Amino acid sequence: MDRNQLKKWFKSPAKMGHKYSLHVIYFCTGCGIIEIPPSITTRWDAERFGIIPVATPRQANLFLITGYVSVKTLKPIIRTYEQMPDPKFTVGFGSCPINGGMYWDSYNTIKHLDKYIPIDGWIAGCMPRPEAIFIAVTHLWTLIDKEMADGYKKYRENYKYYRANQEQLYGKLEWPPLFAGKDKK
Amino acid sequence: MKSLKKKLESSFDNIRVDITKDNRLTITIKKDGIISILSFLKKLGYEHLALISCVDWIEENEFELVYILSAYMENDKEYTEKEKRSIIIKTRISREKAEFMTIINIFENAEPYERELHELFGINFEGHPRLTPLFLEREYEIPPFRKDFDTRKYVKDVFDKIPTIEEREKNENH
Repeated sequence: MDRNQLKKWFKSPAKMGHKYSLHVIYFCTGCGIIEIPPSITTRWDAERFGIIPVATPRQANLFLITGYVSVKTLKPIIRTYEQMPDPKFTVGFGSCPINGGMYWDSYNTIKHLDKYIPIDGWIAGCMPRPEAIFIAVTHLWTLIDKEMADGYKKYRENYKYYRANQEQLYGKLEWPPLFAGKDKK
Repeated sequence: MKSLKKKLESSFDNIRVDITKDNRLTITIKKDGIISILSFLKKLGYEHLALISCVDWIEENEFELVYILSAYMENDKEYTEKEKRSIIIKTRISREKAEFMTIINIFENAEPYERELHELFGINFEGHPRLTPLFLEREYEIPPFRKDFDTRKYVKDVFDKIPTIEEREKNENH
């Protein structure tokens, strides 16, 4: 542990705890999964950064969406995201979730993922190297420090708009609104 | 392979058999003959239906269905590992009235392939027990793998029309 950060630890231990124990849920939608095994095993060893993959979204607070998102997989992504406890951070991995990437004119791929769930950071590239995950994580630490990684707060505040976007795509959704009755900001 | 070609040509009418590669046979046949030729080949030992595929010939206004069979001929003494035989059977159906009969009675594993073709090309397979959606979530006016489906227009109409959260907020407040 860095001694210089002791002050921060005493000031807000919860925040530092969130920062250094990111429990990740990988949503392996596309080719991005191929970067995950080397990054969590000995070669790059994600645990140096406090990143541990977990089994269920209920235990996670970092959501990595690796690869293209088809219309069908967006539904489980939304549900997974809504199941995660606060505070939660989302990172889109690869160029496909950013703007469609090489599937920019596909009939069945979501083009801009941040229209449907809030995204705190993007990792560009096709595919990004495992190092890029750690660069993104260190950036995320800075964002958490400055309280700029507030996607989950935005989701709560603007849930009406997110839900409207989701419903514009799917018609009617099978599950009830997450924050019912909180229409007003 | 040559003996099989002769056998096929003698027992079926309206058939064209080409040996395209050493171990590959291409059969072109009219659509009435598909069931009989598939059951004929299955009896010969071509028991593995590897794939059913479809080609959209939009200028000729026809769909071409492609059935690919291969064999595990363990009992055949002539058959060695080196010559893995596969047979490609092609037939054409009309594009406007895209209907064909199912081959589940012969090859049971045709079920998901036919569902897929129904979903992506809009071909109706008569006698199929459940032609329900397989991969796609949304409904499309034209099945998306047909050549006249304009993907870019579709993207503009559907995905690009969805506003960002900031735009939505702005519209709400004004």
